[in-house]
Amino acid sequence: MTANAKGQFTFPGGVHPPDSKTLTEDSPIQIAPVPKQVAIMLSQHIGAPCSPTVQKGDEVQAGQVVGNADAFVCAPVHSPVNGKVKEIALRSHVVLGRVQAVIIDVDLENNPPKKINPEKYTNGFDFDAISPLQIRDTVRNAGLVGMGGAGFPTRVKLEPNEQSPKKIMIVNACECEPYITCDYRMMLENPEQIIAGVKLAKKASESPRVIIAIEDNKPKAIQMMARKLRELHGTENIEIAAVKTKYPQGGERQLITSVLNQYVPTGGIPPMIGILVLNTATTAAIAEAVIADWPLTHRVVTISGEGVSNPGNYYCSIGTSIAEVLEFAGGTNSEAVRIISGGPMMGIAIADLDTPITKTSGAITVLTKQQIGKAKFANQQTPCIRCGRCLEICPEQLNPTKIAHAVKHELLDTAQTYFMTACIECGCCSYVCPANIELTGYIKTGKILLARQKKKMPQ
Amino acid sequence: MTVADIIQLWNSAWPAGVTMLTLGSAFAIVLLIASEKLKVEIDPKIEQIHEALPQIDCGACGFAGCGSYAKAVAADPELIGKCAPGGAETSDKIAEILSLQASAGGHPQKPIIHCRAHTADRTYYARYGGIETCTAANALANVQACKFGCLGYGDCVDACKFDALHNIDGLATVDYEKCTGCTACAKACPRNLIEMVPFSHENMMTVACSSKENGKTTRQMCKVGCIACSLCTKKSELFTMADNIAKMDYEKFQPSDQTEEAYTKCPTCVIVYRGKSAPAPRQKEKKPAPAKA
Repeated sequence: MTANAKGQFTFPGGVHPPDSKTLTEDSPIQIAPVPKQVAIMLSQHIGAPCSPTVQKGDEVQAGQVVGNADAFVCAPVHSPVNGKVKEIALRSHVVLGRVQAVIIDVDLENNPPKKINPEKYTNGFDFDAISPLQIRDTVRNAGLVGMGGAGFPTRVKLEPNEQSPKKIMIVNACECEPYITCDYRMMLENPEQIIAGVKLAKKASESPRVIIAIEDNKPKAIQMMARKLRELHGTENIEIAAVKTKYPQGGERQLITSVLNQYVPTGGIPPMIGILVLNTATTAAIAEAVIADWPLTHRVVTISGEGVSNPGNYYCSIGTSIAEVLEFAGGTNSEAVRIISGGPMMGIAIADLDTPITKTSGAITVLTKQQIGKAKFANQQTPCIRCGRCLEICPEQLNPTKIAHAVKHELLDTAQTYFMTACIECGCCSYVCPANIELTGYIKTGKILLARQKKKMPQ
Repeated sequence: MTVADIIQLWNSAWPAGVTMLTLGSAFAIVLLIASEKLKVEIDPKIEQIHEALPQIDCGACGFAGCGSYAKAVAADPELIGKCAPGGAETSDKIAEILSLQASAGGHPQKPIIHCRAHTADRTYYARYGGIETCTAANALANVQACKFGCLGYGDCVDACKFDALHNIDGLATVDYEKCTGCTACAKACPRNLIEMVPFSHENMMTVACSSKENGKTTRQMCKVGCIACSLCTKKSELFTMADNIAKMDYEKFQPSDQTEEAYTKCPTCVIVYRGKSAPAPRQKEKKPAPAKA
């Protein structure tokens, strides 16, 4: 065994929002019924958009590739169902706006809902028989991306880099965002699958050591994972770190500080200091891709919030529309006022319920007026009173109010002197602001303006 | 006051007057010498160019103002033609001052907003309660159903220094009387709706939509969107269809019977005139009769 993690299991700043996980933490993962139609986005995340490999009218099988591209930073997309391609049309994406999607009419007679099959991962897979390169190629072909949010293609992350070899791999099982419990339920119900995925990712990335970081408000998950690590073979260099419950503990920069007491340089990424951070759902998907030989077509989605009739965790096919997903959870009740893709802190409000589930959507949260707060709901911003709370809680030690004011007056250079682009958009400053200023919103706007300015410069 | 008093006053005052005169003339001589010795040679051309420019300091040329552009263009004649508000006329004048061949010409560039939907024409899925700028609203996917149309929060209105843009019922509208063509609005629009078009005529015909959705979706999202029916391309060769959107060839634009027919036949009235004396966009007459039963 190597030395224990060096960190303090916490990081400077952060907030403690009510986590509201009781709504769904005890509801087992349910298999969602097969939708009537799925829309597979051809560009779901960072990286080159795919081009469709099927045409209107083609019959597709479940697991078949429907979109692919040659670029390195890219992941193919697969059909989760048997059916017929209706058309290739534009669909709303939470972040990217309107993007091309393959619309598949589902063959309803010939489509049993896909199950999770935990028994596949408990025994009988020979981890020595597969080479790191084989794992990485399988991961690429299965279309795996980081399922925590940003969706960076996993193959690119796993690729060993000679200049800065991976010293350590952190499995991010914090799930610090309120309401979301999809990773927690996976850890309780399918720990074997996650551990198999961790072992494969460890091998593929050639990292000597793994730390699974779990927030200490999930004692059951910590116990379960620890027990399974003892029971299963080949888990020598895999440890568990119980990190303090605090938002945004699951931000990768914060997590590295917490667990290893190291800082990722501003503007840098974890691989620069030899660290790889993977989400639990991603490791589970790696196990599915390599051991069960099945691409990423389904994921667990937490449907939660006070505005939903039956909150729960559902195993849905990617491409199901949010309207249909909400239907599984009994629909929204009369008090629902805001539907968010993701959690309430970092999630993005959605208006078009035809928006399909993508590989990165881990949760749909439906909030009522009470949760949002009256003043926030009415967008009643008052002037900054210089209380300094945003400075105290900023996990990146920025000065959000200065940046927001600079952006408001279009002084992007000034905003940059306050390190605007170092913001991780965690939403803590907006959460604590007593004046209800949308600080994170202004910083995000500023980043967009800066990107546009840079793009237009050469002309 | 007696004569003696005046004499006394004179006797006490004259040394001060003499001192003042001496000092004054000494400084005058110093200044005279300095102005000759330390003279800065100004190219008379720069002043002439500066006078030829519109002197509105809009910054469209990429320089801080008309003064710095005049300096730059005198040093590097290749920069002629950067003055958007002045257009061809100014470029010709500058060329004359620099004794060069007249520039290639071209018509003054003016902005055209490729959307004609007012709030009532658009479909909304939900109420937007965030930061009220177009850039912030555009970061969300479905502030309004149409991802391509004008958001109406007025980033371009704020960018305009000449009060030539106004938000009318949720649609940014150009006042061509005031517009100088400085391109600030085109740079401000997060949806790139504003195109700088050479105004060869006082009023230009354009397709006031940028929706790349297919016809059916566009119709669901907007009452006045281009539904890509291709009717205009059949009526006039000036229109071309690409990406589910008709486009006008502004270089070749010449009002004719064909363009007029395309204008009057457009089923969603999305072909409009834009310019100083442009007629109001055509409204749909009653309910559009089904073309073929």
